[in-house]
Amino acid sequence: MIVLEHVRKSFGPVEALRGVSFAVPDAHITGLLGPNGAGKTTALRIIYGVLRPDRGRALVDGVDLAAHRLEAQRRLGVLPHAQGLYARLTAREHVLYFGEMHGLSGERLRRRADELVRLLQMEEFADRCAEGYSQGQRVKVALARALVHDPRNVVLDEPTNGLDVAATRQVRSLLKQLREEGRCILFSSHVMQEVSALCDRVVVIARGQVVAEGTPDDLRRLTGRESLEDAFVAAIGSEEGLA
Amino acid sequence: MTWLRSFWVVFSKEVREGFRDRRSLVTALLFPVLGPALLGVMLVIVSQSTRKADEQGVDLPVAGREHAPNLVAFLAQGARVVPAPPDPEEAVRRGDAEVVIVIPEEFGERLRSGRPAPVRLIVDESRQQARPAMIAAERLLTAWSLQTGMQRLVVRGIHPAVVEPLALERVDVSTPASRAAMLFATVPFFLVMAVFTGGMPVAIDATAGERERQSLESLFAAPLPRSALVLAKMAGAGVFSALALAETLVGFGLVPLALPATRIGFSMQLDPRMLLRSFALGLPMVLLASGLMVVLAARARNFRAAQTTLSLLMLVPSLPGMALGLLSARPPGWVYAVPFLGEQMIVTRMLRGEALTTGQVAVSVAATITAAILVALFAARTFEQGQPLFDP
Repeated sequence: MIVLEHVRKSFGPVEALRGVSFAVPDAHITGLLGPNGAGKTTALRIIYGVLRPDRGRALVDGVDLAAHRLEAQRRLGVLPHAQGLYARLTAREHVLYFGEMHGLSGERLRRRADELVRLLQMEEFADRCAEGYSQGQRVKVALARALVHDPRNVVLDEPTNGLDVAATRQVRSLLKQLREEGRCILFSSHVMQEVSALCDRVVVIARGQVVAEGTPDDLRRLTGRESLEDAFVAAIGSEEGLA
Repeated sequence: MTWLRSFWVVFSKEVREGFRDRRSLVTALLFPVLGPALLGVMLVIVSQSTRKADEQGVDLPVAGREHAPNLVAFLAQGARVVPAPPDPEEAVRRGDAEVVIVIPEEFGERLRSGRPAPVRLIVDESRQQARPAMIAAERLLTAWSLQTGMQRLVVRGIHPAVVEPLALERVDVSTPASRAAMLFATVPFFLVMAVFTGGMPVAIDATAGERERQSLESLFAAPLPRSALVLAKMAGAGVFSALALAETLVGFGLVPLALPATRIGFSMQLDPRMLLRSFALGLPMVLLASGLMVVLAARARNFRAAQTTLSLLMLVPSLPGMALGLLSARPPGWVYAVPFLGEQMIVTRMLRGEALTTGQVAVSVAATITAAILVALFAARTFEQGQPLFDP
């Protein structure tokens, strides 16, 4: 369960978030949809604790990030916008490194790493250094290190960006599997198809504010539009920045 | 998960990755050999010229010996007179001869008639190695000229002291150790350089590099105390910095073994005890240098900018130290309280075999450690605010 309450964040004169509130329930996939520059990444960065809000607060399973950042971050698996890897570490070493940072160790961590290598089909490159990985392989490693500590909450910033069809489908089925396990999943996207294909709930954000929230059906009803696409455009008030 | 465990996890990853980076590893570990190698070459050159002058006497090629048998006999008392090469000027220019004395035909006739008799001394002032031979030749010629002039005065009934208003006496107070210290003045400079170059690749890679590769954000999203994160990166750089320092010291320690200093009149305090002391003295420098490099690299725009900044940073503390080392004047006391400068002073004085007070060493160590702690605190604060991630 992830909650944002009246979150405001400015970068100099630019107001990135202007009082954003929404809740992300467990056992659902929630899409954070908005045009480029709407404030999606800023909102996610506040949730996973690399940015601090100017006002308002972010809670992960009821733990306030401002007061107990480490405790909240332990409950989160994060796939940031940038999925940079260490060129001189193998995929498996990436997973082990992040596992250790989450307090795992020994046989338990090794078994968990094996499990993720199998789950994400990384056997072929798991013990090769990350230099020269394809974009699909990089995303897999980033996903594996995000999930190594078996987090209850998973936050992903545009997870399928730059992936081919096969890899995209893999990521989607992984997200569905995580939902079946009862986890709370929040991912951001500016691709409507993806949101409509995956999401149980949608939070539409534009110009730093939540402009609509609910199930895809709710959105259609709310805006009085037939297709989800028209509903989004109506909610955002413009077609700019969507794909 | 404790602070210490977080620190250890990041630290061991930085060190492991550092050792896998062959190119920067080779660069970092090759540089420390440079100082000792340079010193060795300089010592070989100096010892060759000194040994020739001191032990074997100077070879003095003289052309036209038949024109001045008296002068040649005088020269032979202070040097070994040998036949001159056919083209003296060309021989000196090429370095075949260090110096050549040419006595022209009219020498005898001019001398007899009481007019100044010409003697040409062919030298190449730019050749450091030829200096002892040059000085020896000049001294001998001047001495003969003076002696002959005085004989002439005595013949004319004038006391020779009349033309010698000055009684110049040279007293050389340089000890063998201080003469050698001129050469060893570069030692502290290379120690400071090693401390910086050793840790530089890791310091850059772990900060500016990590941001450029976009892996820093995942790290910041992990449940780690940021102070543990940044201190682990500093410590990671410190490992390589300390390695380079040790390597340089061992290299300097090997130089006198390879070229026995006593043979050339130098005795240098470069024994294992001195090396261990220098290493201990260098450790606070390692801490401060790694801290400074991590802080600056974290604030650099990108990898390249970080390299430029850190290369400049390295020169700041090493150049004044080198100047102090070359000037043998007694430095003011506050020098010991300046990080990097104090250590260089102390190493220089240890090399010269001079006594140091415990206070001077304590001030230096305390000053550098204090500075290192301040830098670490500052870094922990900026990392806590996420600064290295978003506004370099």
